[in-house]
Amino acid sequence: MFLWSLTRIDWGSGLVQARGLASVGQFAVALLRVDLTPYVVSSALRASWVTVTYAFAGLSVALALGLPLGVIGSGVLARRIRSRTLSVLLGRFALASMRSVHELVWAWLFVASFGLSPIAAVLALAIPYGGILGRIFSELLQDVSGPPLRALRASGASEWQILLYGRFPMALPDLLSYTFYRLECGIRSAAIMSFVGLGGLGHQIQLALDDLAYERVWTFLLFLIVLVVLVDVWSTSVRRRITQ
Amino acid sequence: MNNSPTFRSSDTLRPRRVTFLRCSFLFTLGLLIVSWVSVLSADRIARQPFLSVETVDRVIVFIKDLLGLGRPGTPAYLHLEAWVETASLAYDTLVISVLAIAVAGSVALATFMFGARNLMVGELAGYRSISSRGIFLVTRAFFVGTRAIPELIWAMLIIFVFLPGIVPAALALGIHNAGILGKLAAEVVEGLDPRPIRALRSSGATRLQIMMYGVFPEVLPRFITYLFYRWEVIIRTTIVVGFVAAGGLGLEFRLSMSYFHYTQITLLVAWYLILVVSVDLTAAFLRRLIR
Repeated sequence: MFLWSLTRIDWGSGLVQARGLASVGQFAVALLRVDLTPYVVSSALRASWVTVTYAFAGLSVALALGLPLGVIGSGVLARRIRSRTLSVLLGRFALASMRSVHELVWAWLFVASFGLSPIAAVLALAIPYGGILGRIFSELLQDVSGPPLRALRASGASEWQILLYGRFPMALPDLLSYTFYRLECGIRSAAIMSFVGLGGLGHQIQLALDDLAYERVWTFLLFLIVLVVLVDVWSTSVRRRITQ
Repeated sequence: MNNSPTFRSSDTLRPRRVTFLRCSFLFTLGLLIVSWVSVLSADRIARQPFLSVETVDRVIVFIKDLLGLGRPGTPAYLHLEAWVETASLAYDTLVISVLAIAVAGSVALATFMFGARNLMVGELAGYRSISSRGIFLVTRAFFVGTRAIPELIWAMLIIFVFLPGIVPAALALGIHNAGILGKLAAEVVEGLDPRPIRALRSSGATRLQIMMYGVFPEVLPRFITYLFYRWEVIIRTTIVVGFVAAGGLGLEFRLSMSYFHYTQITLLVAWYLILVVSVDLTAAFLRRLIR
């Protein structure tokens, strides 16, 4: 399959831009001269903040979307086989269609329909992430171990009560842990929301690249890397403690 | 999070302490509130605020445009020629995703063992040297750096070097995913049972032999599972990278958006969904085949 895909490349006309390698050199040299003037740093800080707010707001909406759909998609509320299958199919289908479109495509469609508003970015982030969260949630809720649930059922609890007092508390550490992991990915996704004109770190990188100001590109790239690594370290340590 | 219901009676008796988790929880909550405040206030000063009456009208108009209602001419998604024309773009998109996963897979496969702590600096390293510690740190930094920069930004950088087309798109996707796959594979190695490897070493195996007989057979099945999982993610992202790297459906999507050819967009989104669903199904099938 890989070899077949190689045939599709147009080898003949050359792949590399004229003077492309020279620009690699310039770009690498620019790392040594990172632009750290106060103005650039302050705009990088502002852009990082915008990125973080998009990620958090988007994730909160994603959670609000993913949790109910995850419960439906897990089919735990239905007692009879037929209604359970129906609920699983409906929920899974909704979740799959939410996550099959990339967040940036959502963003583009939302900006075209709503206009340029940060809420478009938040929603664009929330829909595919809600789909992913919901799918994992539904699996986690199904995987809760049986005996405590049977005890609840034997004492006459309804499916709702079993969900609230049995499945949910037991799955909570894993649910939280996965949400934190997604937060990390959300930061990265939020950074590229810029591409449709919604600001953030990606926007600054794009502007700097358009100006061929490689020194400034590096500033924003480093900010992005540091931000992602910080959230990564934080979420890993939170997750380790939650699931212990 | 001592009030998390893990049924530990001792927690409720003890006075509440300031723990890392409690701080993180409050921090997250605070950040959440501040984020919403700032998003909402930014929305209020936006030129077209989301929270206004006109939004509904705009959405209705947009959906009508997508379906081609109230516009002269038949919508693009009803023309057979339009489907045939865009089929080659969809094919290109598929090619990009396959190339990307090949790049990511081969780079990750070549480097992941250098990023595994236990093999390089831990108990399975055999002998400890500064050079192996250095290689470990460099590999880890490579994984972190490639992972932290999104595909789209890689594409924006790579387009300076390569001519627009399939190759830069595939490379951008490949580099980003190499970091992800490499980290995942390195974590699998770190979770390996050390005893078979120790047995190999004590029977006099060289480093290469340990890799071939102790590490690869254990890691490979998991690695291939991750590979297919990333392929599903890549096919979704290919359209986005195409916006800047000018390959496949992405470029056409962007152009149609700029020309306001809305029915063309509907057609492209339909192709996109077809690709995504078929890759998902194929990957799920292949994964089951391996297992």
